[in-house]
Amino acid sequence: MVNDPIHQFRIHPWLGPWNVFGHEIAFTNSNFYMGVIVAVVVGFLLLASRPKALVPGRLQSVGEMWYSLIRNMVENVLGHDGAPFFPLVFSLFSFVLVANMLGMFPYFFTVTSQVVVTASLAVFVVALVVVVGLYKHGLGWFKLFVPSGVPLAILPVISLIEVISFLSRPISLGLRLFGNMLAGHIVLKVFAGFVVSLVALGIGGVIGALAPLAMAVALTALEFLVAFLQAFVFAILTCVYLNDALHTHH
Amino acid sequence: MARSVDPKAKKIETDSKLGDISARLQDLDSRLSAEKKQTAQAEKSSAQYRGAADYSKGYRLASEFVAGVLVGAAVGYGLDRLFNTLPLFLIIFLLVGFGAGIVNMSRAANRTPPTPDELARMPKPADDEDEDK
Repeated sequence: MVNDPIHQFRIHPWLGPWNVFGHEIAFTNSNFYMGVIVAVVVGFLLLASRPKALVPGRLQSVGEMWYSLIRNMVENVLGHDGAPFFPLVFSLFSFVLVANMLGMFPYFFTVTSQVVVTASLAVFVVALVVVVGLYKHGLGWFKLFVPSGVPLAILPVISLIEVISFLSRPISLGLRLFGNMLAGHIVLKVFAGFVVSLVALGIGGVIGALAPLAMAVALTALEFLVAFLQAFVFAILTCVYLNDALHTHH
Repeated sequence: MARSVDPKAKKIETDSKLGDISARLQDLDSRLSAEKKQTAQAEKSSAQYRGAADYSKGYRLASEFVAGVLVGAAVGYGLDRLFNTLPLFLIIFLLVGFGAGIVNMSRAANRTPPTPDELARMPKPADDEDEDK
């Protein structure tokens, strides 16, 4: 029970559940941590931008790096007309980054280890791509699924593959973030569990526990990198997909 | 005017300059070795970072492929449920999904988005005129 590696992902209703239009709605630990994430992002950025110094202090530097990383990304991937999407990409990146980072604290709940959350974000991004594409290019946007220069005989198959390939975007976007966080936390928990079980065996176990302990420390470092990289990948793939909607190359 | 001072004073000045240079060379040497040590350390930690970046790249390719197959299977199964032709569309769309997965994967490999440090090395976008308002 103590070493159950899945236990950390359990959702507990903290308030409720209430019956809202026939659905059971409860305020859960996941909701609570989402609120914490938003509070951390907003609070940190407000605090970091408060000095407004020309020569930034430490806190302000971090805030500026955070901002300019995403701004660079949007400018370089989307070009100049991608500027309206900067707030969206910045919010997505901040939410995912802080969710992943808060998840690294012991006893904290990792919001992004729930497939519901990551899949919702991914479906939202791809739905936005469809809406922006249709708004910018009208029905001509569907030419995305009909590559030019393909013989007519195999065009139906190619179009079908293109459609499936497009439909698989939200799946791969959401699954990747979810899978990385879930797998990382389970592996950490399993190695930490080895340490506990081995120490319980006595003096020989304590010596044997050193190997999984070292592994757990190394994995923690790796998990911090993965937490940042996955947030970054999520943001940059959002940009890449939005780029398809803004500039259709067909 | 400074040129016309007597040669003796000038000689002393060059001598002191030479001494200065050797001191500076020594200083440079020590600074260089310190920096070498620092870069070696930075490279070590960036190797770990690179490992994580490569891991995420590999994971990305795998997830692109799996997502294609999954979506193909889901679409096929849905069509089968609709028309009551169970294995037919599932088989067809699994194959199409396989193809879509390969297309996804080759696309992801060909058009890799920049990594954080590549992005940092890219030219900074020109600041907006109204930014400093």
